[in-house]
Amino acid sequence: MWRIIGIYVHTVDRCNHAIGRVMMYGLFGMIAILLWSSLSKAIFTVPAFWTLEMAQFALVAYYLVGGPYSIQLRSNVRMDLFYGNWSEHKKACFDSFSVFFLILFLAVLLYGGINSLLYAIEYNERSPTLWRPLMWPVKLVMNFGIFLMLLQAISEFFKDFAKMRGVNL
Amino acid sequence: MSYELVALLMFSSMMLMLMTGQRVFGAIGGVASIAALTLWGIGGSDIPFAAAMKVMKWYPMLTLPMFIFMGFVLSESRIADDLYRMFHVWVGPVNGGLAIGTIGLMVLISAMNGLSVAGMAIGATIALPELLKRNYDKRMVTGVIQAGSSLGILVPPSVVLVLYAMIARQPVGQLWLAGVLPGLMMALLFIIYIYVRCRLQPHLGPALKDEARNIPKREKYRLLLAGLLPLSIFAAIMVPFLNGWTSLVESSAIGAVTAFAAAVVRGRMTKKVFEDSVRQTLAISCMFMWIILAALAFGAVFDGLGAVKAIENLFTERLGLNPWVILILMQLSFLLMGTFLDDTAMLVIVAPLYVPLVGMLGFDLIWYGVLYTITTQIAYMTPPFGYNLFLMRALAPPEIKLRDIYTSIIPFVLVMVVALALLMMFPQIAMWLPNHVYGK
Repeated sequence: MWRIIGIYVHTVDRCNHAIGRVMMYGLFGMIAILLWSSLSKAIFTVPAFWTLEMAQFALVAYYLVGGPYSIQLRSNVRMDLFYGNWSEHKKACFDSFSVFFLILFLAVLLYGGINSLLYAIEYNERSPTLWRPLMWPVKLVMNFGIFLMLLQAISEFFKDFAKMRGVNL
Repeated sequence: MSYELVALLMFSSMMLMLMTGQRVFGAIGGVASIAALTLWGIGGSDIPFAAAMKVMKWYPMLTLPMFIFMGFVLSESRIADDLYRMFHVWVGPVNGGLAIGTIGLMVLISAMNGLSVAGMAIGATIALPELLKRNYDKRMVTGVIQAGSSLGILVPPSVVLVLYAMIARQPVGQLWLAGVLPGLMMALLFIIYIYVRCRLQPHLGPALKDEARNIPKREKYRLLLAGLLPLSIFAAIMVPFLNGWTSLVESSAIGAVTAFAAAVVRGRMTKKVFEDSVRQTLAISCMFMWIILAALAFGAVFDGLGAVKAIENLFTERLGLNPWVILILMQLSFLLMGTFLDDTAMLVIVAPLYVPLVGMLGFDLIWYGVLYTITTQIAYMTPPFGYNLFLMRALAPPEIKLRDIYTSIIPFVLVMVVALALLMMFPQIAMWLPNHVYGK
């Protein structure tokens, strides 16, 4: 049993790490889009009309798909009023219970996201702007990011649970 | 079960979950999801994802990674070091001088961006380690940075005032001008407070002695030139923006590129600096965006309960009161709500109810925009649930505990309340500049 959990944790962590390392450079994608947007105003008489939404899509992909890597980097704030003074073992005990709130949140997020994605595919949903981009690609990316986040949260649970039981994964 | 009771239950279970030390966004989002599912069954399951879409559609959000990146580039590459040496030399010999200098820097940073979080990112990455290294009291330091960063949404360009302008149907230009003098006044009040406090308790902000005095005059003036760097970045952002060539978001990207270019030209953009600033930008941006996402979901459930409606009733029933009393009550309720709603959520949910009421009572809506901004900022900083507090915690080194951050803001919040009172008594502080420029 622990062997399977160990394989899961290692696979998920390694995949999310690799994906996060790539998403990290998405920052320059956003900068490029915004710079092009400012430049196009100077160069052409008609400014590029797709840049605003494209930049928004890029940001969403950046933080949703990059999210699991940010968990690995331990950048997510915790209220450490008490938590900060606990032992590693106590932290793991509390986390392996409270992480279910996170898992539930992500599951509900994913459930709503899939519904929204199916709707977008079925009705060919487009954004109500001049550019009128199809909405399903960005929603697909969002769902992908949330799914990865869910995998990462479950991996965090296993790690805390293992630590609580004193097992080395 | 009555809706008020549900609201109370939601709030207390969120507090309880936060106490367990779970990641903040997980705790808030989890409580929001449970509440949505129990209240509206499977229909409530759309709420969190709808919040994600709302985050996406909020265009100014894009400035966030840009300004965070800018802050990391400026700090990791240490090109802002000269600026710090400038403060050292010029204000260091005064008790609390570096803290005063930080407020000055914050005014500059505020003029470069429209969100207080960005100011905090820069303040916490550049100023915080420097001040701690110089034996400044850690509570003093975190308080200064949080208070200083609150200037970000008062001094133009201000994103919050843009959103307010949208809801109150007031011109953005006048609102921005109205924020200038109150912003500078608040900075001055902070400086006076720091100066007096450090005069009385010198150990909070030890004066730099020989180190600073032994520097020759020539060197002193050369360092003053170093201060030109942030000014040129400021110009790169503001000139195209003020001329209407670029939007705020586009300007923020230009700012990020300018800061990056400055680091490259100075030969400070090593592989490590590049790697660190890009990685940290992802980490901090993700942390912040996920919290906003969860808070918007929580706010949507709370709004669905009609918690806001209840507050509106309270006001309309008491309309017989003096307009000033109502105004003060409104500010107080803003403070209360600000402890668990983020400022965008507050603006979108509360302002449409409050703004018409303020207009009806005969108050100037541009003046109220400034009051509103300061009040949200106070709410943002006050425990138990201020976003600035958590952000500060994320950016600060581990030796600073949440308890330090909580206590650090108390004196500064009092100063801000004084600023609010002054603004209420003397509306001219806000109104003089726009009236003068627009020739009313």
